[in-house]
Amino acid sequence: MSKGTNDLVDILVAKLKRRQLVGSSAVAQATLKLLIVVISKNNWSKANDLLNLVRSVGQRLIEANPTELAIGNIVRRVLHVIREEFRDAEASSKSDDHSEFQTVPLTTSSSMYNLLSETGSDDKEYTHASHNLRSDIIQEVRDIRIELDTIYENIKNQATNHIHSNEIIMTIGRSRTVEEFLKMASSKRKFHVLVAETAPSYLGQQMALELSKAGIEATVIPDSAVFAVMSRVNKVILGTHAVLANGGLVAISGTHMMAAAAKHHSIPVVVCTGLYKLSPLYPHDEDSFNVVMNPDAVLGFEEGDLMEKVTVTNPYYDYVSPEFVNLFITNQGGHPPSYLYRLIVENYDPNDHTFDPLA
Amino acid sequence: MPPKEKVESTEQVLQAVILADSFDERFQPITLETARCLLPLCNVPLISYTFEFLAVAGVQEVFVFCCSHSDKVKAFVKKYEKSSNMKINTIVSQELMSVGDAMRELDAKQLIDTDFILVTGDVVSNMKLDQVLEEHRARRQADKSAIMTMVLKKASPQHRSRSVGDGSLFVLDQGSKECLHYQPVKAFKSTREDRRMTMNMEIFDKHPEIQLRNDLIDCQVDICSVEVPALFTENFDYQDIRADFVHGILTSDLLGKTIHFHEVSDVYAARVRSTQMYDAVSKDIISRWTFPMVPDSNLQVGDCYEYRRGLVYKEKSVVLSRTCVVEEKVVIGANTQIAERAVLSNCVIGKNCIIGANVKIDNAYIWDNVVIKDNCVVQHSIIANDAVLEQGVTINKGCLISFKVTVGANTTVPAYSRLTALAEGEDDDSDAELISDPAVVGATGRGRSFTEAEGSDDEDEDEDPKNKQVNMLAFDMSELLLATKEQEDSASDFESEASDLEEDQISPEEELDREVAATLDRAFQDGHDVDIAVLELNTLRMATFSNFKEMRKRVIPGVLKHIDPAARPGSGKTAKEILNRWGSLVGKMIHDEEDQLDGAYVLQRACATLYQDVAQAQRVFAPALRYFYDEDILEEDAILEWYHSEKSQQGTDVERQLREVAVPMIQYLEQSESEESDDDDEDEDEDSE
Repeated sequence: MSKGTNDLVDILVAKLKRRQLVGSSAVAQATLKLLIVVISKNNWSKANDLLNLVRSVGQRLIEANPTELAIGNIVRRVLHVIREEFRDAEASSKSDDHSEFQTVPLTTSSSMYNLLSETGSDDKEYTHASHNLRSDIIQEVRDIRIELDTIYENIKNQATNHIHSNEIIMTIGRSRTVEEFLKMASSKRKFHVLVAETAPSYLGQQMALELSKAGIEATVIPDSAVFAVMSRVNKVILGTHAVLANGGLVAISGTHMMAAAAKHHSIPVVVCTGLYKLSPLYPHDEDSFNVVMNPDAVLGFEEGDLMEKVTVTNPYYDYVSPEFVNLFITNQGGHPPSYLYRLIVENYDPNDHTFDPLA
Repeated sequence: MPPKEKVESTEQVLQAVILADSFDERFQPITLETARCLLPLCNVPLISYTFEFLAVAGVQEVFVFCCSHSDKVKAFVKKYEKSSNMKINTIVSQELMSVGDAMRELDAKQLIDTDFILVTGDVVSNMKLDQVLEEHRARRQADKSAIMTMVLKKASPQHRSRSVGDGSLFVLDQGSKECLHYQPVKAFKSTREDRRMTMNMEIFDKHPEIQLRNDLIDCQVDICSVEVPALFTENFDYQDIRADFVHGILTSDLLGKTIHFHEVSDVYAARVRSTQMYDAVSKDIISRWTFPMVPDSNLQVGDCYEYRRGLVYKEKSVVLSRTCVVEEKVVIGANTQIAERAVLSNCVIGKNCIIGANVKIDNAYIWDNVVIKDNCVVQHSIIANDAVLEQGVTINKGCLISFKVTVGANTTVPAYSRLTALAEGEDDDSDAELISDPAVVGATGRGRSFTEAEGSDDEDEDEDPKNKQVNMLAFDMSELLLATKEQEDSASDFESEASDLEEDQISPEEELDREVAATLDRAFQDGHDVDIAVLELNTLRMATFSNFKEMRKRVIPGVLKHIDPAARPGSGKTAKEILNRWGSLVGKMIHDEEDQLDGAYVLQRACATLYQDVAQAQRVFAPALRYFYDEDILEEDAILEWYHSEKSQQGTDVERQLREVAVPMIQYLEQSESEESDDDDEDEDEDSE
């Protein structure tokens, strides 16, 4: 890797480690920006070189902050694009050479035929030298970037399909996706939003303030009142930090409680999320993608005497299992949780679920 | 490091200065072998936390001052610099003895050209400095005399992250954010100065509302302007940044500089100043108060800690046996193996350690490559790299086991032991063989117990040893109180009562009494010249608005007091010898005839009160009177007048008997007055008395 790009990687790694850069959206943008530089500024001739290069960068970024799943998602998307481009190039060169029809596997597809084939055979496929591929790949990666930029637009355009007049909507935390979604709906419909205050970060209060500024009738309720008012709610709309392969959510703490209350009352739970938050990883235990924050917000550091006698954990996220979610609204439309596997197959290559270097 | 200034100063490179040396010995014997700032705190070198703190603050250039073990610090910094995006310069100076020296060095080298952040190499903090920096700069714009901003953190007085021995009292003006007075507070106030605070009353004129605060953790994070090092150079006796510099600047009328503060409340900041603080800060890190500076952020390159429930942090390569129990708040470094049935709680274990079966570790800090064999028990101690505990060893609380010590099988190490494997006289590269002490480390052990005296300079001799003790690891306050309770009670109660009395109701006369006595004692003890003593006494007289009469009343007994009537000639204590040396002091207090008469009365009374036995009193009085006569301090007329006066015939028995002693002299005087003859023979008469 060239010196210049290496420095850029170092800077981003340091920022991620120090948590100066947090939040799925910001992290995804930064990762993509860095990968474009990595692809365009480095020398590579074979597909494998490029894949390994991107993998190694991705590995470093993920290790810097393993809880920001969006980093891995973006890296996998880029790898997927690279593979596709190589396959296309290969297919076209082969058809040029032999001028005869050949079946080339266009995707590493979920087809049952490939299920038993050696996965190692992939590697060979991508070793051919390439020309003018660079610009094609960069163009494809730029497309991902455009997709990221238009995510909010795409999601909020579906708002009027889901929110009806005089509904009571409940939400928690402060998600930009949900905020724009509700604001869009409010331009056509009149509805009421209950926002749980979301202790200890109290992001819900900010959310309510933003909504009311936009002319939406918003009420802040304490987290403890969520269950009590749930029976009157028509719909729960949630934002999320990440969506896991099984359809489970990693979302701000309190979400699980709200989703469970909604399920108890059979209230539909809708999750608004960009596709870049969809991760092909499975949660092996509930804590695996969580962040435990400073207990200061729960128990003040000034309380010296008490501090020694209690252990306070302040998890930032909740894991919400997929059975609590009824619908995902992504930039590609609405999907039930059971359909997520398909989105994962379309967007990521199964070889990229881990970033160990290729043989 | 060329002192040439770069042009980039226009865009204001944010600079920071780290004082990597601690200038004390609280971590000995461990710090005999490595620098304090390189000690692992939750398996990461201490100074990394400081670097990280500065990096987050946006510092671009760092100067690290180090003194002891500078080569190790330098090597570490070099390695660290590669992985950070800061420019780090190491400045080594073997002569650094204090913060003051470092600042003077900084001034001499002219390395700093803008406001900078001054921290010590043992700060652990997650605070963001941008706001403080902004405030400081704005203040500097408005007022050039605002030279420094201290960052203080609020915490209750009994907080575990407060260093017990290093309290401080701040007098603050919340309105202008100005610090008005500073006073260090010791845990045990053995002298009266420790217990009192003197403050300039003018403060109240300028600031209608002030706060006296003892609930602030002072972690010595300061934003300093360029004047600060210069001021250290001007005042070459400043050593400590707080006790000397801040106190000095604030009490000085001449400088006209002001020091401000910034109070933070929702962030973490602490300094690892002592083993006790090492313990507290480690626990804070494990409990995530320092977030995001926690083990699972993997700030050190190559680390790979994972967080588990119950505040357990574990590297991926750790081998835990099936039956071992990892309780709460544990950090385990890479490649460490924990054998069957071992129980770990509240502890930090370094890289490549081997923990045997049935080992119990509670509250301990075990560094890298330590081997702890089966059935050992370790409580609340620090065990440094490469130490070995053979089977069945028990380490009681508060121990510091230094590098490469081996403790032999079935040994019990008593509480608060400090063991080292360094040979005595370690400073020079002498070939002195380590003499292991089997009583301490067991028959097969390697190491000896370390005693404070060998390395310590006696700078804080006057310091109460208890103040040192309370900073020790695992130190239990209740124990201290038990051990010293009796003397504590009697001494301190009595003393404080007495001192209160003295201070509050003291009359000027008593004060003068005490001062004169002190001056004379000093003069006698140190053998001053009479002239110097006189000068001092005169100064005293003027300072207390007193007169010569008052002085005589005190000086004459003061001199006579030193006469030992039973002394033999030649011992320097006989009447003659003392008077020859110090008699003229009395002479300086006597000027005219009235004085002389008064002097005679005082002499009579002094002898009578000083010596209860008549014979003794006479033995002092006679030569004294004679001496004063010979030296023309008391003249004939005065003596006669004294003798015949009413006053001299009254008074106690002793006084009257003393008057009788003078009879031969009076007779002689009266005689000579009439005959006007010489007095050659008189000497003998007088002496034979």
